[in-house]
Amino acid sequence: MTSTAENIRVSAIEQAGPRTLAVTWSDGRTDQFDVVKLRRSCPCASCIDEWTREQRLKPDDVPETIRPLRIESVGAYALKIHFSDGHSTGIYTFQMLRGLNL
Amino acid sequence: MGLFSSVKDKLSGGSNRSGITEEQVKEALAKVQDPDLHQDIVALGFVRNIVIKGDKVSVEVNLTTPACPVKEQLKAQCESELRAIPGVAHVEVTMTATTRAAQRDNNAAVVPALAGVKNIIAVASGKGGVGKSTSAVNLAYALARTGSKVGLLDADVYGPSIPRMVRITQLAEEGGPNVIIPPLADGIKVISVGMFTQASDATILRGPMAGSVIKQFLTQVQWGELDYLVIDYPPGTGDIQLTISQTAPVTGAVIVTTPQEVSLIDVRKAMSMFKTLKVPVLGVIETMSYFVCDGCDKKHQIFRSGGGERLARESGVSLLGAIPIDPRVAVGGDEGRPHVAAFPEAPASQAYIAAAGAAAQQLSILNAQASGILNQFALEWKN
Repeated sequence: MTSTAENIRVSAIEQAGPRTLAVTWSDGRTDQFDVVKLRRSCPCASCIDEWTREQRLKPDDVPETIRPLRIESVGAYALKIHFSDGHSTGIYTFQMLRGLNL
Repeated sequence: MGLFSSVKDKLSGGSNRSGITEEQVKEALAKVQDPDLHQDIVALGFVRNIVIKGDKVSVEVNLTTPACPVKEQLKAQCESELRAIPGVAHVEVTMTATTRAAQRDNNAAVVPALAGVKNIIAVASGKGGVGKSTSAVNLAYALARTGSKVGLLDADVYGPSIPRMVRITQLAEEGGPNVIIPPLADGIKVISVGMFTQASDATILRGPMAGSVIKQFLTQVQWGELDYLVIDYPPGTGDIQLTISQTAPVTGAVIVTTPQEVSLIDVRKAMSMFKTLKVPVLGVIETMSYFVCDGCDKKHQIFRSGGGERLARESGVSLLGAIPIDPRVAVGGDEGRPHVAAFPEAPASQAYIAAAGAAAQQLSILNAQASGILNQFALEWKN
C-alpha cells in the first residue's frame, strides 16, 4: 500500500490563474489544467458516447468564457466540476487527469 | 496532570534529585519501535507526560488506535527499556490511544455530516450469504470494546439485517429538517433502512431511490465524532456501492469471504471495484473457516481450506482473520446479541477482536502514509 501510480491522490488543489487549475499529486508532481479544455474533454455519458466512445460534444460549442463555479472531490478517486454552463455530470478520475495533456 | 506535574517537577528540581533526566528516558524509549510504522515511538510522538520522581519514572504512550494488537508487547518493551536506565527502580507505563484521522478536506467539507468521522471502513463481499453483516456487526462491537467511538451504517437497502442483529426495534428519529438521529446499540450509533419500515415490509425502491436513501444516511445522519464508521455494504458491485464510494471518502475496505472458490471469484470482483475507486483494501476476513466440535478439539474444515489465505496472498493484502463456525454466532445474530458482546472469550469472538485490531492497525499505517493527502476537497472558483 505504498504510493504507486495506481493509488495516486491529491495533496493540494488551487486556482492558479483566471482559467488555470493546479493540482499537486501525492507523488509531488503538479499539473496545471486549462479549465476550458477540461470542459471540452468532459468524460460524461452525454459528451462521450458510452458505446462507441465517440465524442458527441463539439469542442467549438464550448465558449472560451466558460469557467468552473465549484470543484469538489468524488470519493477517493476523482473530482467533479460544476461549470458555469450548468454542466456538472463529468467525473474526472485522477487517473484520467494524470494522463491528460492540457 | 501532565502540565501541572512537569511544572511541579521543575520547581522542586525533582527530576534531578536522582540524576535521571527526561533525555535519558526519551533515549531509552527511542529504542522501542512501532512494528507497523517502522519508526521509534519517540519520533512518532507517542510518548507523553514523562514524570520523574526520585527513582520512579512514569510515562504515557499514546498509540494510534485503542484496538492496537501489539499494545501489550509495546508496553512490556517500554517497561524493560526504562528499567535499564541506571538509577530507575520503579516504572509505570500507561497506554492510551488517540485514533488518527484520515486527512481531511482543504476547507468546507464536501460532506459536513462526516467531518467528525476519523475513519470509514467498508465491509464488503462479492456475494451474499458469506456472513458479511455478521462480520460488520462483530467488527463494530470489537472496535467499540477497546473504547473507540463507533458507528454502523447498514447499506443493504433491500435486506436490512443489522437492526435485528443489534436488537434495535425503535424507528429512527428526526432531529430537525434533514437531520436523522441514529439510535444507539450498546453505545454504537446505528442506522439502517430497517429503522424506517416495519420489519415485515419489503423495501421496494428503484435504483436511484435506493441510492438517494444511502446518500441521506451519509449526509444527514448526525454521526458526530467517531473513530470508526463501519459500513455494511450490500453484496455485489452495483449502484449502491458506487454511490457510497462517490459520496464518502472511504478510508479502507474489509473483504469478507468463505473458503470456497465460487465465493472467491466474486470477492476478486469486489477487490477490483475498490481498486478502481481507489479505496485501499485493509484485508480479508474468512468466515466459516472451520468447526471445532465439542467431542474433540480437531479443527474440521467443512468448506475447503485456505481460500481467504490464498486470496490474500495473490492480491497482496493480509488475512485479517479466519472465523470458526460456531452456532452461537448465528443465534446471537437472530437474538440481537452480537457474539463479541455475548461470548467475548469464544474462539469466533477472539478471531473477530483480532481481525478488528489488525484492520485498525492497517488504517493507522495508511493514515500515517497518507499525511498530506486531501481526503475531501472543495474549491470555489473566483472570477
